[in-house]
Amino acid sequence: MSSDPNAPAVEVAGLVKNYGKVEALRGIDLSIGKGEMFALLGPNGAGKTTLFSILSTLRTPTSGIAKVLGRDVVKERDATRRDIGIVFQEPAIERTLTVRDNLGLMGRLYGLDAKAVRRRTEELLTQLLLTEAADRPAQNLSGGQRRRVELARALVTDPRVLFLDEATLGLDVEARRGFWKQVRGLTDSGRSIVFATHYMEEAEVADRIALIAEGKIVALDTPRNLKARLGGGVIRLHTENDAQAREWLVQRGYQPAAGVEPLMLEHKDPASIVPILLRELPVKVERVEVNAPSLEDVFLKLTGKALIEADAPAPTNGKKGGWS
Amino acid sequence: MSGIWAIVVLDMQRFFKERVRLIAGLIQPLLYLFVLGSGLGASMRMGPPGGVPAFDYRAFIFPGVMSLALLFSATFAGITIVFDRQIGFFKAVLVAPVPRAAIGIGKVISGALQALIQGTILLIFLPFMKIDVSVMTIVWVIPAMVLAALTFSSIGVAMAARFTSTNVFPILTNAIMLPMFFLSGAMYPLQPAPGWMQKLAHLDPVAYAVDLLRGALLGREHMFFESPLLSVAVLCVCIVVLTWSAVNVFRRGEELDLTGPTKFTWRK
Repeated sequence: MSSDPNAPAVEVAGLVKNYGKVEALRGIDLSIGKGEMFALLGPNGAGKTTLFSILSTLRTPTSGIAKVLGRDVVKERDATRRDIGIVFQEPAIERTLTVRDNLGLMGRLYGLDAKAVRRRTEELLTQLLLTEAADRPAQNLSGGQRRRVELARALVTDPRVLFLDEATLGLDVEARRGFWKQVRGLTDSGRSIVFATHYMEEAEVADRIALIAEGKIVALDTPRNLKARLGGGVIRLHTENDAQAREWLVQRGYQPAAGVEPLMLEHKDPASIVPILLRELPVKVERVEVNAPSLEDVFLKLTGKALIEADAPAPTNGKKGGWS
Repeated sequence: MSGIWAIVVLDMQRFFKERVRLIAGLIQPLLYLFVLGSGLGASMRMGPPGGVPAFDYRAFIFPGVMSLALLFSATFAGITIVFDRQIGFFKAVLVAPVPRAAIGIGKVISGALQALIQGTILLIFLPFMKIDVSVMTIVWVIPAMVLAALTFSSIGVAMAARFTSTNVFPILTNAIMLPMFFLSGAMYPLQPAPGWMQKLAHLDPVAYAVDLLRGALLGREHMFFESPLLSVAVLCVCIVVLTWSAVNVFRRGEELDLTGPTKFTWRK
């Protein structure tokens, strides 16, 4: 069965996935258009990887429907596999083989003949600035280069839908910027890119963002519209007694975000209200911050949780897969 | 077909990067052959039942040592599956539009090829054994080696498909392989062995493989099982069943791991 040319790149309805008693996905509905750059923004454990595992045919949903380019990913596994490319969180290249051999392997796995493999490998090496590293074993590359090899691996067959699952995890800022510069060029020719991240600044580049928490999508919109939900600005108050300050704010008809520390208040005109607050709050204010709303703020407001937990381990230096 | 080819090329590329394994894998068989074989052989005078003239113990165990080399190197090749699963590389294979059967068959073939390379090196020592080598010996021994290597490789792949830890896999394979090897009659003739051992040997695929190799190298009169055709049939059934059982595991993708993707044991 060929794919419907008008079908969206990804279509998901009522998708549920349980691991024993753990509910990883609790009813996801989603439609991602062709040529769209789409971000899934949410903290670790929100269900992003599970969603990718299902869309990339590695896991079967407990219930619900998932389609890629109009094809059911469970019923038409091989056809789906041919249309997608995926970069996993963990390394998925063979570390002892050279970059060229790794790409050759993928080409053969996807049924390209020797000549096509060679041509495509050269194209990707040039495109992703890996020519110089082509004949080195993958384990001798820098973190940034390795992730670009992963990207090249996922692109060997020129997939129409590309999934990136926390593809820049563990990279430093410079390497991350380089990676996204490469990715941004890939939506030409109608390719759709769906990526998961818990860095809000990465999600900003997307056409649309789904905020995902505890297996559910809590909001889905363009970055601009998501931020517009918070009006003019976000005020954060550090006080001597947050509980008392919160009570006072609520009595006065303000709406501090529930369960968020320090106190967070959205307002369409922060400049006019901050002096009033400072003057009238019955507790001592130690510090006030006023910011334009960020995606992090939107997420906090909607879920009461931060994107990156304060006690989460710091990202490592690009060696997440444990090979060094 | 292209899927099988891709897997075989991958594994052979990796195999030749680890030449140490090739050498190290030969140490154990050579120890059995020249140290254990010489030591035990000196205190034993061997002869098949029926009073054929006694002959060299080392020659007798040569087919057994050949199976040992094939057995350990073929099952060890399966560890790449466990390792790939652990670091996540196997996922890249699983998302490719390759029939799961091709992955299983490719893995079995590449494991067998690696074992055969080792076995062929061992054949170099054949002229030093007191074995009459003719063209027919070679004509028979090669298919016997191929069949044995495929059997052992499918054992390794069927087991490896079920493990996610490279720490546990070698321990368990050894725990299963050694009894299979000891029971197989590789180091002693099964004919005079106690009845229970003879019965157990009938359940041991390694015993059939040893028997075929011994028949090919030493002659029909040294064979234990009723018919070489029976042995061939048993080994073929083993290869098919074990490969199929591994393919079944690959069909489940990542579902094997019931605790969710973040609990995947690649961290170790």
